[in-house]
Amino acid sequence: MHPPSGPAWLVWLETSAAAVAMRQWTWLYPAVEIVHIVGFVTLVGAALMFDARLLGRSRPLAVSALERHLLPWARFSLLLVVPTGALMFTAHATEMATNPALRLKLVLLVAAFLNAGIFHRWPFRTVGDWDTEIRAPMAARVNGVLSIGLWVGVIACGRLIAYF
Amino acid sequence: MRSRTLIAVSTLLVLAPAAALAHHGWSGYDASRVLSLSGVIREAGYEHPHGYVKLETPDKTWLVVLAPPSRMENRGLPRDMLKAGTKASVVGYPNRSDPGEMRAERITIGDKTTELR
Repeated sequence: MHPPSGPAWLVWLETSAAAVAMRQWTWLYPAVEIVHIVGFVTLVGAALMFDARLLGRSRPLAVSALERHLLPWARFSLLLVVPTGALMFTAHATEMATNPALRLKLVLLVAAFLNAGIFHRWPFRTVGDWDTEIRAPMAARVNGVLSIGLWVGVIACGRLIAYF
Repeated sequence: MRSRTLIAVSTLLVLAPAAALAHHGWSGYDASRVLSLSGVIREAGYEHPHGYVKLETPDKTWLVVLAPPSRMENRGLPRDMLKAGTKASVVGYPNRSDPGEMRAERITIGDKTTELR
């Protein structure tokens, strides 16, 4: 809509064949959006359901078993969300790079992954002691609360990219 | 439970005012000021997320934001109707922050009017 201007790599991205196809093929953009949504529903759904367990819901379910079920799905979903997100970025690279909602989304995304990493590195190590029927330790519950806030924030910022 | 609710609510409160600054949604356009413009299309984009034309009017050249290409196609406004040099009339609303941009509710080319919302 506006001629692309900005750092050379962004202009290069925005004028690439993939970006032109994203903007001009009638059904590519919506198809990419749909795959992105299926991906983040899986990713954030897995995260929120796990957080609910950490915060004390469904205590008969073993936390370790839930983790073994959900983590592979969360990892798999990255194969859907990352390439489709990159394609949508590419389509309007110069505008996207300065979009405040996208910037905040990426910051929250990094924070959400760090939070998950911290959970796995520390509280989750002792999961054998609180696997079923026992209240998760404070650190794990803090990770759970942060995870919910961060992922809801990521989704909110993602939706708001179009409104800035 | 209480902290969860608190985080959800504060996230919404932080992000809600953003909607008021909306650029692409309809809320970014001032629907109380209806603009009727006629002119000549100087440039057109049949593009995602929204098509557009640059419409040269006697007054100035407007960036007129249209609908997603799939919708325009479904409603009988194919790509080749939006050619440079074509006369067009649009009814729509000015952008709240960008004085050169408006969003069209409908566009008329020849005797064909297409609703864009």
